[in-house]
Amino acid sequence: MMKILLSVLLFASTSAWAADSSAPKLDIGKGGQCVEDTQWMRKNHMHLLKHQRDETLRKGIRDEKVSLKNCIECHASTKDDSVIARDDSFCVGCHRYEAVKVDCFECHSGTRKSAWLQQRNAK
Amino acid sequence: MSVLFAILFYLATLLFVVGLLSRIATYARTPAPLKIPTTPAPTTQGGVVLRMAREVVLFESLFKANLWIWSMGWLFHASMALVIMRHLRYFTDPVWGWVVLIQPFGLYAGITMLIGLCGLWVRRIFVERIRYISTPSDHLWLVLLIGIASSGLMMQFATHTDVIAVKSFFIGLMGFNIGQLPADAPLMLHLFLVVALLALFPVSKLLHAPGIFFSPTRNQTDNPREKRHVSGWGKKMESES
Repeated sequence: MMKILLSVLLFASTSAWAADSSAPKLDIGKGGQCVEDTQWMRKNHMHLLKHQRDETLRKGIRDEKVSLKNCIECHASTKDDSVIARDDSFCVGCHRYEAVKVDCFECHSGTRKSAWLQQRNAK
Repeated sequence: MSVLFAILFYLATLLFVVGLLSRIATYARTPAPLKIPTTPAPTTQGGVVLRMAREVVLFESLFKANLWIWSMGWLFHASMALVIMRHLRYFTDPVWGWVVLIQPFGLYAGITMLIGLCGLWVRRIFVERIRYISTPSDHLWLVLLIGIASSGLMMQFATHTDVIAVKSFFIGLMGFNIGQLPADAPLMLHLFLVVALLALFPVSKLLHAPGIFFSPTRNQTDNPREKRHVSGWGKKMESES
């Protein structure tokens, strides 16, 4: 009985191996080389952002390596220059999937600064 | 590793559902030959529903019996309810609105759940007469739940795991697709202990959860004069004679 069950399960699992996962498909913007490796960033990016909050805002230490501005510079969509505008935007995609609130953009802008400057200079 | 966990979760869920249903069927068929509600008891069916609700939600009788065991027990159970509801985010896509709302509270509940469990274990170890009547299973269930809570909290406060991958693994599992689970030690421990919990639930003291609803001292109305109490098999014998 147990053997039959196991073999059925194994068969079902291998046949469905290549199936699509439900994980969100993100618009990663320009992407490219990040400040840490991808898997590390997936787990720990919030600590870099909090580090920025504490070190930069409260102690005035500025470090070009980790800055929210630079995150947005690379990861804002190439279509609308934002990390939060759409459901598949770089921040929103995963945060919505996991029901985790993004606090950053209640104060900060989620738009790529270079794009914003360009727009302003064009006027 | 992912395949192993997938098989374990399928088996554990099967054992949990089938085991629990068969237990409930047994409870439902078990005769209650005597009219024995703990008085003062409600005299109407609606009153019984209300009494049972107070018992299940607030642990009324324990509150009246022993305030500090109640405080630890209730803290643990209420926190665990919140924690379980918070975990629904891993099994629903898109996440339901009310589950999104309780996310921050569920986090604190993880901590209070651990405090409650530790309190209950301290009671088992340090209260002489409770230690005397404690069986290994009493201790082991507390240890198991403490393990689940602390490995879960560890992922929140010490070493994170890739929650996106975890969720897509479980969503996949629900549609019989086996994906990749991140190979992080706290996650492995957490999931393994949950598998053990699910599989052993139907043969354990944790059956007090469905059992309370079948407890004759709590689910009977106090109406022995108005309506004669005859159990199922008793009725059959009456019709035969």
